[in-house]
Amino acid sequence: MSIQTSMPIISMRHVDKHFGQLHVLRDINLDVAKGEVVVLIGPSGSGKSTLCRTINRLETIDSGEILFEGKPLPQEGKELAAMRAEIGMVFQSFNLFAHKTILDNVTMGPVEVLHRPRKEAEAEAMELLDRVGVAAQAHKVPAQLSGGQQQRVAIARSLAMHPKAMLFDEPTSALDPEMINEVLDVMVELAGMGMTMVVVTHEMNFARRVSNRVVFMADGQIVEQNTPDEFFDHPKSERAKDFLDSIKGH
Amino acid sequence: MSATVSMRDALYEAPGPKTRKRVLVGTAISLVLLALGIAFVIRQFYINDQLNPKYWSFFGRWTTWRFLLKGLWGTIKVAATAGVIAMALGLLLMLGRISPNKLLSSACHVITEIFRSLPSLLLIYFFFLVIPKYGIRMPSFWMITIPVSLAASGVLAEVFRAGVNAVPKGQVEAAMSLGMTHGKITRKIVLPQALKIVIPSLVSQLVVVVKDTTVAYVVSYPDLMQNARVLISNYDALVSMYFVVAIIYIAINYATNQFSVYLAHRMGTQVVSRMDENPV
Repeated sequence: MSIQTSMPIISMRHVDKHFGQLHVLRDINLDVAKGEVVVLIGPSGSGKSTLCRTINRLETIDSGEILFEGKPLPQEGKELAAMRAEIGMVFQSFNLFAHKTILDNVTMGPVEVLHRPRKEAEAEAMELLDRVGVAAQAHKVPAQLSGGQQQRVAIARSLAMHPKAMLFDEPTSALDPEMINEVLDVMVELAGMGMTMVVVTHEMNFARRVSNRVVFMADGQIVEQNTPDEFFDHPKSERAKDFLDSIKGH
Repeated sequence: MSATVSMRDALYEAPGPKTRKRVLVGTAISLVLLALGIAFVIRQFYINDQLNPKYWSFFGRWTTWRFLLKGLWGTIKVAATAGVIAMALGLLLMLGRISPNKLLSSACHVITEIFRSLPSLLLIYFFFLVIPKYGIRMPSFWMITIPVSLAASGVLAEVFRAGVNAVPKGQVEAAMSLGMTHGKITRKIVLPQALKIVIPSLVSQLVVVVKDTTVAYVVSYPDLMQNARVLISNYDALVSMYFVVAIIYIAINYATNQFSVYLAHRMGTQVVSRMDENPV
């Protein structure tokens, strides 16, 4: 147990990335321990989404290295796919497979990637859908569901793969206000169950309540990181103070 | 719901009173011009003795129609075969082109561009004049079908690719994040959605294939056009015969287009009607 907690499950070393002229990630060093919930916040364009997407190599990096469970990310092919299968990802725009039913969305990974029998996968998918509260919609297609429902299905789809860690790339940013909480509730429950999570979000209450650590980014750099209470109550850098002021109180 | 919105409604704002008046006047003028045009054509026919019964009476004979229908059947056989081959080949070319293998991808790109830019008549001459010189003999059916297929496959490969590009990137990213491999993502996620998107364009491309078959006379394959030419020389009835044949081609291609409209409508409304069952 103590050995597991001491070895980070995700480890980024001197990671740099450019989009053309734009230096989106500058010398990123970040460790995420097993069971830890890390929230990435910062102004738009700060590179937090890009950072999140490099962890399962949806974005490649120019230099540095990223380790998952101590091993460097494979660069391509079956090895990369196998590694991705162990990391769940939830997107801002849900990205449910538009031509498949809700149930088929959740069984897609287990059946096609883990080669589990369909019956078994469907039984577990129904349990997961029940857990996130959308079991009644199992036989509809994504377009028939509300945004909040779709995002909960997307979380169930990731969970069906029994991931070792989960990435959330602004999971509530595309939702109508009244649907944000239903998604956050599911994420709070996941955190409570010890899931390792990297969450890019603008939900400061969630960050304060649920995360173990807040990582503040600006201009492609990690400017400061701290426990949520320390960060929100006593930000050290000017950038963080400005950012917190700008989003405070309305 | 979307089925009742016409293209004009979707693109332009609703006409006001002045515009409605202008549209009305424009419609009236067009109708008058159209009537004048038809009257002019009939008058020219009359002046040039094209309304003479000798040019039209043979359409009353079953043998004429049997010969034309035989030709039509030939056209349909070539067009259908060429359509199927072109779709299969076009799909393969597109799959090769989007493959991560750079060599395969550029090879398929080059082949697509060649087929797409060569006129089908040139390809037909190649199969009709060049290939037999090397001792390869094939029936006239294939001498018309293969070149028409090749020419269409290049265009269809591009149509398929447009469909693949129209599938949102997020669909692929979600599949990648589940650990699916390139091949599986293509088969299970991208192609099913891409095909749905391009079905209307695919069917309209078949219209081009039907039109391409009219050069079958080059290889003396008895299609509708070729048989019409035989009848023309038998009865010395150029204008009336081409007139009738033109109407047959218009009918075939109109039917094909209607089929694509029907398909598009069915696929488009499927989701809507399923939504109606259980509104959220």
